[in-house]
Amino acid sequence: MIKNRHTSVFCILILVFGLVLFYIGTDGFTAYTAETARVTKLIEEQPVFPEVLMEDSEGRTYSISEFEGKYVFITFIYTGCTTICIKLEENMAQVYDLVPYEYLGEEIVFLSISFDPDRDDPATLDRYKDLFKSDGETWRMARIPEKTQLDSLLNKFGVIVIPDDRGNFAHNSAFYLVDRQGTLVDVMDFTKVTEAANTLRQYVETDKKGE
Amino acid sequence: MNQFLFGLVLLIGLMLPPVARLMESVMIIHMHMQMPMLVIAGFFMAHLFLQRYPQFFNKYNQNGVPGILLFTIIMAYWLLPRTMDEALTIETVEIFKFVSLPFLAGVPLRDSWRRLSKTWKNNVITLFTVVFLGMGWLYIQSNDQLCNNYLVIDQVILGWGFITMAICMVIYLIYIFAVDPSQYE
Repeated sequence: MIKNRHTSVFCILILVFGLVLFYIGTDGFTAYTAETARVTKLIEEQPVFPEVLMEDSEGRTYSISEFEGKYVFITFIYTGCTTICIKLEENMAQVYDLVPYEYLGEEIVFLSISFDPDRDDPATLDRYKDLFKSDGETWRMARIPEKTQLDSLLNKFGVIVIPDDRGNFAHNSAFYLVDRQGTLVDVMDFTKVTEAANTLRQYVETDKKGE
Repeated sequence: MNQFLFGLVLLIGLMLPPVARLMESVMIIHMHMQMPMLVIAGFFMAHLFLQRYPQFFNKYNQNGVPGILLFTIIMAYWLLPRTMDEALTIETVEIFKFVSLPFLAGVPLRDSWRRLSKTWKNNVITLFTVVFLGMGWLYIQSNDQLCNNYLVIDQVILGWGFITMAICMVIYLIYIFAVDPSQYE
């Protein structure tokens, strides 16, 4: 079929170009969706949790320094959500149950952050937390009232929230782990509950050994 | 020359930020209207390149295979869910889209299509039919959000868009296979 030498050489060149293009475009054939790429990049970059003011279900306000010296296990939700957030929070509750009791509140704090501050006031969050048997202390639910602060956090942690026309939001979901100094150290698949609980336990145990 | 200008104006029009943003706001328009129109813009602009550098194309694209290969690679690249997302969030990827689709897909397509044998043409169409059916199935059955910038419902609409295009190509292939034009001449 191919008679011309230049043409066949060119064919090979194009194939090589294609391989290189796909290699670069998918981080070495590993990330075919932006979500996979996002998580890989986050874990590499380890952004610091920004100084934003949170208001929790009991009306207390504080920044991330409230949890200094503890791991913070974070999810991003909104209470009006009828689909994925419920699954996310149910799974978070399972992780909560799997983590050794003595770690809760001492080594690890669970934190659900709402990205819908207009509707999720402390009273709403308080009702919502009961659905998942969160105690409001070792597992807190909070909103970030200031829009610009909220956006800076979502941006840093790569949470993309798109409002749809029915007052709902589409968003990517994961478990986020912030270490004792307030740095994001891990992003976990929220569908793998046991794995996440084991990872959490490992983080704490490694620290203990180091002491 | 006129054809080249037409293609260039089309490309510039598509690149205008308000136009680009509008088209990219809907997933199916982004993939099934903006991207093909970019290829079409390159297809028109190819006229000038083919006139000006015929020896280059004769030498390196004698049977049309390298060109169609390049076209296929570029198209496949823009079928990845990730590249669609990144075109919206990373500027260099967006620029690459406006360069690669016209010049690396549109131009070689025009030169190659007249050189390719009938069998090759049908093979290429068959390949794209299979790929589009696959992509359609992927987007329709996937409950996960494959693109962070679009809703799942947009994804399902895009999936059916792929299936529709694939059906059109199947009809064409059946027609080619079943009808012998020489009988009617």
